[in-house]
Amino acid sequence: MTATARRPRTIYTNPSRAARPKPEGSGSERLWWYFMRISGLLLVLLALGHMFIMHVLVELTGNEIDFAFVQSRWGTPFWRIYDFALLVLAFVHGANGARIVIADYVANRTLRGLLVGLLIGLAGIWLVLGMAVIVFFNPDAGAAMGPRS
Amino acid sequence: MEEGRSDVITLFGYRVSWAQLAWFGHRASGLGVLFYLFLHIVETSTVLFGPDVYNAAVGIFKNLPARLGEVLLMAALVYHALNGLRVIAMDFWPGLTVYYRPLTYGVISATIAAMIPLSFIMLRPFSPWAA
Repeated sequence: MTATARRPRTIYTNPSRAARPKPEGSGSERLWWYFMRISGLLLVLLALGHMFIMHVLVELTGNEIDFAFVQSRWGTPFWRIYDFALLVLAFVHGANGARIVIADYVANRTLRGLLVGLLIGLAGIWLVLGMAVIVFFNPDAGAAMGPRS
Repeated sequence: MEEGRSDVITLFGYRVSWAQLAWFGHRASGLGVLFYLFLHIVETSTVLFGPDVYNAAVGIFKNLPARLGEVLLMAALVYHALNGLRVIAMDFWPGLTVYYRPLTYGVISATIAAMIPLSFIMLRPFSPWAA
């Protein structure tokens, strides 16, 4: 066993050492820094709760995820609001995280702008599609809709 | 990197610390979950086309390879959530950085510990002893 000197108890300037240090300015980057942490706390409950219901409770109770399952779930406002909040928070949290990763690796300004623009464009389209599905799904008329029903 | 640091391990010939692995794991799991989210929205949107289309769409995911992917997704989300809680705690209470290493080891151990029963429950229908 090698004798090592006791390391000094340093308090680091980037405390978490796993993400970004809090931006110094009071601009939008600092708001995003807070958003990632607040939405992250909410998502721990919302996203893990969603996974627990869909992959553990459904499995243990012998249920199956199919159209009837969605019909009964989205027949109650609670689960629609839950899923809507989860969708919006998860998607904005994820897209902003991807934006930060792109900004870390792509030094070229033009390319970075292009990639971030593409990301925001795609994420926007997908988010609107997801919100529309949760809002417009009709549990009663659902069975009679669509080309193959 | 100084000699004798107990948090440095050798991985594929590279000397990396658990700090770097925790940081990389947070990004990789985050990007992975975001990619799945894109697929998940497309899959779920088929519910607007009625039972036949939706049941066919979710049927694509009812096999062992897809289920293994879902176990991986669960692991990514559990790790990202626990590590994220550590990041938030250390950002708002900088005094906690003193316990940086035990907290990081705790996050990794808790993820592995949680995944043992979760994988068992999720993979059970595909096991040889399934009813």
